[in-house]
Amino acid sequence: MSAFVVIPDAPDAPGVLEAPPRKKAKGLPWGSPTVYFVALVVIALMLAPIAYIVLGGFRTNSQITVDPAGFPNPWNVQNYLGVLTGGVFWQEVLNSTIVAVVTTLGVIVLGLMASYVLARYTFRGRGILYALFAAGLMFPITVAITPLYIVVRNLGLMNSLGGVILPQIAFGLPTTIIILVPFLRAIPDEIQEAAFIDGCSRLGFFWRMVLRLSLPGVITVGILAFIASWNSYLLPLFLLNNEATFTLPLGVQAFSSQYSVDTAKVLAFTSLSMIPALIFFSLFERRIVGGLTGAVKG
Amino acid sequence: MKGTKLLTGAAVVMAGALALTGCSGGSDSSSSNGKVSMTLWQNSTTGPGQEFWKNAVAAFEKANPNVSIKVQSIQNEDLDGKLQTALNSGDAPDIFLQRGGGKMAAMVNAGQLMDITGKVSSETKKNISEGSFKAETYQDKVWAMPIAVLPGGLFYSQDLFKAAGITDAPKTIDDLNSDVTKLKGTGVSPIALGAKDAWPAAHWFYWFALRECAGSTMEKTADSKSFSDGCWLKAAEDLQKFSQTKPFNDGFLTTSAQQGAGSSAGLVANHQAAMELMGAWDPGVIASLTPDQKPLPDLGFYPFPEVSGGKGEPGSIMGGVDGYSCSVKAPKECADFLNFVAGTDQQEAYYKAFNAPPVNAEAQKVVTEPYLKDVLKAYNAAPYVSQWLDTVLGQNVGNALNVAVVDMLAGKSDPKQLIQAANDAAKKG
Amino acid sequence: MSNTRENTSTGTLPKSELAQHDGSGAVASLPSGQRRRRRTGWAMRLEIALLAGPAALVFIAFVIFPVVIAAYYGFFRWQGYGPATDFIGLQNYITILEDSAFQQALWHNFLIVIGSLVLQGPVAILLALLLNRKMRGQSLIRVLIFVPYVIAEVVVGTGWSLMLATNGALNGMLKNLGLNFLVHDWLSDPNIAIWTLLAILTWKYVGFAVILFLAGLQGIPEELYEAAALDGASYWQIQRRIALPLLGPTLRIWAFLSIIGALQLFDLVYIIWGQYVASTAGTSTMATYMVANGRNAGNFGYGNAVAVVIFLISLIVALFYQRFVLRRDTAGAITGDRRTGRKNR
Repeated sequence: MSAFVVIPDAPDAPGVLEAPPRKKAKGLPWGSPTVYFVALVVIALMLAPIAYIVLGGFRTNSQITVDPAGFPNPWNVQNYLGVLTGGVFWQEVLNSTIVAVVTTLGVIVLGLMASYVLARYTFRGRGILYALFAAGLMFPITVAITPLYIVVRNLGLMNSLGGVILPQIAFGLPTTIIILVPFLRAIPDEIQEAAFIDGCSRLGFFWRMVLRLSLPGVITVGILAFIASWNSYLLPLFLLNNEATFTLPLGVQAFSSQYSVDTAKVLAFTSLSMIPALIFFSLFERRIVGGLTGAVKG
Repeated sequence: MKGTKLLTGAAVVMAGALALTGCSGGSDSSSSNGKVSMTLWQNSTTGPGQEFWKNAVAAFEKANPNVSIKVQSIQNEDLDGKLQTALNSGDAPDIFLQRGGGKMAAMVNAGQLMDITGKVSSETKKNISEGSFKAETYQDKVWAMPIAVLPGGLFYSQDLFKAAGITDAPKTIDDLNSDVTKLKGTGVSPIALGAKDAWPAAHWFYWFALRECAGSTMEKTADSKSFSDGCWLKAAEDLQKFSQTKPFNDGFLTTSAQQGAGSSAGLVANHQAAMELMGAWDPGVIASLTPDQKPLPDLGFYPFPEVSGGKGEPGSIMGGVDGYSCSVKAPKECADFLNFVAGTDQQEAYYKAFNAPPVNAEAQKVVTEPYLKDVLKAYNAAPYVSQWLDTVLGQNVGNALNVAVVDMLAGKSDPKQLIQAANDAAKKG
Repeated sequence: MSNTRENTSTGTLPKSELAQHDGSGAVASLPSGQRRRRRTGWAMRLEIALLAGPAALVFIAFVIFPVVIAAYYGFFRWQGYGPATDFIGLQNYITILEDSAFQQALWHNFLIVIGSLVLQGPVAILLALLLNRKMRGQSLIRVLIFVPYVIAEVVVGTGWSLMLATNGALNGMLKNLGLNFLVHDWLSDPNIAIWTLLAILTWKYVGFAVILFLAGLQGIPEELYEAAALDGASYWQIQRRIALPLLGPTLRIWAFLSIIGALQLFDLVYIIWGQYVASTAGTSTMATYMVANGRNAGNFGYGNAVAVVIFLISLIVALFYQRFVLRRDTAGAITGDRRTGRKNR
């Protein structure tokens, strides 16, 4: 499925800078039991596999072979401890973090600058530039991987995190620009005029005002870019041969191949590798879901 | 302003991080001020196997204090792809597993391997037979040091056979068919098949081809990549007929060969399947998957049954030779390391660790397991020895042939389509 | 909304006519130019270059250039090292289109596209309608539904393949419950595998659809509901007659994302079925075909040709969709819908 999400639309013109007035309900009413029941079933289905993976790490191999679907009995923390104390997991977390953070920063910085130009300048070739970025959506990394590998190889960036970061930034730009351009365009001209009247140049306007005004869009874009980078598998698979450079998804697959003898250990590693993503998500959950809400609302 | 600071800081961090990331990975072999460092890629993921390489490297480093070798273990199924990528990008490891055949030829043609013809020590030449070196020879030069000879055949559980009332190992395909029926009666899967990795399924085809085709035909096809001789089609038909008795385990399509207790080796190790067609690495892999992680006590070996009316010489055997190559860019100490692991001491350690026949004749003398002795006996008596067909045919045609066999076994195609797919593969590369 | 504005002094753009109220606009269009004093002096050109330059550079180097390279090498038979010397013209493309394995992969992609839309859409709409009311636990429910989307496909694939293995947890559980007749080879049976894949995809992505639809629903003014209720409409009548149609633009956007995503599916299939048996199991996709026949087989010329084919297919599908489905929602930029193109006024 798409690694990057195209979330369309700008906030509407009039109320772009203020959130619509929130109905602050003091104690929301309870929903009907049917709704909660359905929600419960759905959530159970969503979380059951995750629970299986987590619980599986607490069992031993013989437990799993004998009774594939049972509960841990007794609870065995060796697998989790082994993964946590071994260096491999943390090395891969570090690699993933470096790649994801730098990718996100790159996407935001480059994307914002380019979106500003596309949104608020008029010049010949603007349409072409915009269409160029938009067409990039049709050539996702999955499809581009074969020639991209050749490019990265010829640049001498094989086996380096930089070789993963730069393409990820490049492929993150179309989505970012498509999301941010409407955001930036919706900044009312009055503000820009006022700034110019006060002697601000266009660049200065960018530095001082645009960044703040487009923050919601920037945050949404940043979060999506971070998640996509954190979870990406194909690009590291092609470019990273040296174990020391593996990112976490690659590490999960390598670990599950290498220790395939030990199903329980693989489950422990897999569930631990879910945790950073889940933590990140729970920290930013309001922003992510809220950002999607804000972006899609009509 | 907060925004500005954030942005500037971000830009600085990004620039710095990019600079740093340029330092990760990168080339590994170097010799500066006399210190030589090399990397080694091997495909063992079992405990004893990893130990062997660690110890071998440590021993070599002790004898050669200026050399340090970094060992990387890569899952067998990932090795070929990763190796090719690494070779293509100039990032190759110095020492790596070499399968030989067409795969090796491709590497030689691209100038990626070190020619070690003149670097094999006389000591090594004394102990390792010409035949083993032949597998690593191309255009009259030697490109890899053979380390293990891994002939193929059926590894089986003697207990399960006995429980099914089978007294002797089958000698013909008809015998095998009746044994399969008997085994089904006892509730175990007669034959474990790791079709997910494709080559285990393809091995069944290779062996039928070995029985049906004359050796010269096979060698001709290896060059021409054309499967037009009628014996290939006959072999495919033989296999289809054989598979129609449903001798394989359930869900063989997603059963891997060596990974985990659910793999085909794991099924044999846990007495859930009675036998599997494999190379001589199998005892070691099975040993790592038994409940107590020790070699399977009732493991036996018998050669692939004969097929009546086939043009292949009876007793012919197919097998791989595991060798290790030096990359063309590797330092000369690489060849020294190869001679080292081919030496008798290391070979004996190899045999003990991998439970597989070493290629060194002196080391072979210490082999005790009856099944390994049977393997060596069959190998030494064979009138004709071929390498695994997918190795011989090279990566492109080999992969395509392997997948085509899986398709046929899964009922998705028939013998004619199998041959057609193999012939078509040459078009893609 | 007026989309022209006399603006003479600053060379800025008018308010975007793109900011519409209907929650759509997958591809933003460009506003029409209008009269203003041209200040395309060097200062402005420099600013444009400075701001848009880095992005354009990175983009061209790592996105556009590979497209060109793929097109180039696709005309050769090439193993990946050294220069490409064996020019074979369109032969690779002919081989691709004639290869039954590719045709099957294409068919599987098609099934996945349709399956994703049909399975995820109605379920997500229903859930969104059900959950679209203020009640306690609302945000917790939203968060939990969204969790599978956050987890890497690799992790999802690894976990599910262990659970769905023939001797795995699902079959084990069914056996424990005495439901032996329900035990199947979920992953290895070619008749079932594609459905298993669709089930896993639904599991992973339905939460995302629900959140998107909830967001779309929340943009519908309350007054509409109240007015309908006053007229005596029941809850479900309101949902069907008012909420659903107004959800249209969001639905169309989500469908677009789903389709494009389904066309490029790779990670999940590759992890669960491995390099070789996806086509036998009936779950191969164009992307897995590309990797299996390109990189893994050492056929880099061929692999590049497959990449170009996938690119063209995605492009055609996207253009089609933009033109015929999204047209009513946006002034399509990619399709060059001339209604709101540059005009001189």
